[in-house]
Amino acid sequence: MSDSSPNALVKSKTFRRIKHFFVQIGDLSYFAGRFFKEVFSPPFEFRELLRQCYQMGVLSLFLVGLTGFIIGLVLTLQSRPTLIEFGAVSWMPNMVGISIVREIGPVITALICAGRIASGIGAELGSMRVTEQIDAMEVSGTNPFKYLVVTRILATTLMLPLLVVFGDLIALYGSALVENIKGNVSFQLYFNTVFDALNWGDLIPATIKSFFFGFVIGLVGCFKGYYSTKGTAGVGIAANTAVVMASLFLFIVDFIAVFVTDIFYEL
Amino acid sequence: MAKTTLENLKLGIFVILGTSLLLTAAYLIGNRQNMFGGTFNISAVFKNANGLQNGNNVRFSGINVGTVNKIEMLNDTTILVYMSITENMKGHIKKDAVAMIGSDGLVGSMLINIVPGAGVTPLIEEGDELESVSKIATQDMISTLNVTNENAALLTADLLKVTQSLTKGKGSLGRLLNDTVMASDLQQTIANFKYASHSANKTLSELNGMVSTINFKESTAGVLLADTISARKMRQTIDNLEKSSSELEQMSKELNSVINGLNGKNSFVQYVSKDTTLVFQLERTMQNIEQGTARFNENMEALKHNFLTRGYFRKLEKKEKKNTN
Repeated sequence: MSDSSPNALVKSKTFRRIKHFFVQIGDLSYFAGRFFKEVFSPPFEFRELLRQCYQMGVLSLFLVGLTGFIIGLVLTLQSRPTLIEFGAVSWMPNMVGISIVREIGPVITALICAGRIASGIGAELGSMRVTEQIDAMEVSGTNPFKYLVVTRILATTLMLPLLVVFGDLIALYGSALVENIKGNVSFQLYFNTVFDALNWGDLIPATIKSFFFGFVIGLVGCFKGYYSTKGTAGVGIAANTAVVMASLFLFIVDFIAVFVTDIFYEL
Repeated sequence: MAKTTLENLKLGIFVILGTSLLLTAAYLIGNRQNMFGGTFNISAVFKNANGLQNGNNVRFSGINVGTVNKIEMLNDTTILVYMSITENMKGHIKKDAVAMIGSDGLVGSMLINIVPGAGVTPLIEEGDELESVSKIATQDMISTLNVTNENAALLTADLLKVTQSLTKGKGSLGRLLNDTVMASDLQQTIANFKYASHSANKTLSELNGMVSTINFKESTAGVLLADTISARKMRQTIDNLEKSSSELEQMSKELNSVINGLNGKNSFVQYVSKDTTLVFQLERTMQNIEQGTARFNENMEALKHNFLTRGYFRKLEKKEKKNTN
């Protein structure tokens, strides 16, 4: 009788969800541990790694570049009136430079990649799981984890920092274009001011953070795809949850990275 | 296979380009922070760091020449700031250069400005300590302004009281502003002043005329005013007058003492003036002397006629006659 009461139902649903969440975290940790175990042990799938790097790096460049360009453009256009109001429009390169290199560049690039790559990996591995290709690989003696998961996670981890560099540069170019057209600031002066404002404390943490972002995107995408169930519907769920979970994890990692960087700054 | 090669080529370009961009950016940023190339360290002592941080720029005559390395607190009023300066500036900065903390614009970050000194001194070397000047911090300015504001508030309160009193016609100024009778009186006074000043002006012009008519070369006034010899003589005369006056003073003192002597109790004059018996006796004596002289005259006349002495008197008469002739 007490089990059918709404309170108990909610209680049990919430409990199941919480339990599911912790199980997922546990499985993910195990998955990550297995990745680190497999990544250093031969045989190494170089060809597959290069193919994945091309898929995730080169083919994402256009999307990342376009997004970066628009972000730089919009950020400058939106900030201009406020900075003009304060008579600080000459600080535009400093402001845009620091914000793009430190935060906006890595986060926007990672989110774009989470949307494009994590969902792609989730769908690809999910469909492979559903169509029992992974099981077939296991039967045939090929290590599917090494071939499918390790290469993808490594590829995202290595490519994302490079995509961030390109994204930052294109975003700064977009910002410089606005400043050049609206404020008659030369490209040389703009980039000089940006590099004046920046220091290694901005560039290095952002680059390190990008490696983690790439790792998270690859890890979540592979995890969701690798363990997808429930037939063809599971593929869609895997792709969808991969994007949502990767994006969420990106912000958590970003928060931790900023927190750690701040501690180092204070030191 | 061809597709894979093309993919790998594109990936290679992507990776190399991305990595080189990252390294170039790191180099450019590091270069601006003087992390590459030769540098040398100098220091300066400040009383207040004004928010200076490690990595802030150091400027020499407006050019970025280095960065702040380390900020060390020696004691509560002494802050030692170490700066890393590019090697090629060694030939330009001299030992008498002065370091001061400034800011890059109104809202910019803090920086150290090194200003060249005035004298000719040797060039700066590794480990040298520059002189420093502490500029007034914004906080000090604000605190001064705060005091000024408080004073201004007090002043305005006082002014309000004054103006209220004025409008109510209190005090001299209030009356001056509100009293119409006084205004007309003042008007009259001013008119009188005007007349007086006019008269004074006239008098002055007359005096001017008089002065101009004086012959300064020949007249006494001219001599008095212009002749230095006369002035010297005058001074001599005044000196003499002073001397005479002092002598006169001395004399008068002596006279005084004489008079005092005369006025004394035992003086002759007092004796004569006060003792009536003596006066009487003196009078009698004088009478006796008069009588005596009359009788002596008679005796002398008798002697002239006496035979024994007649000859002598006749001789005398003859001698007198001779002399008169």
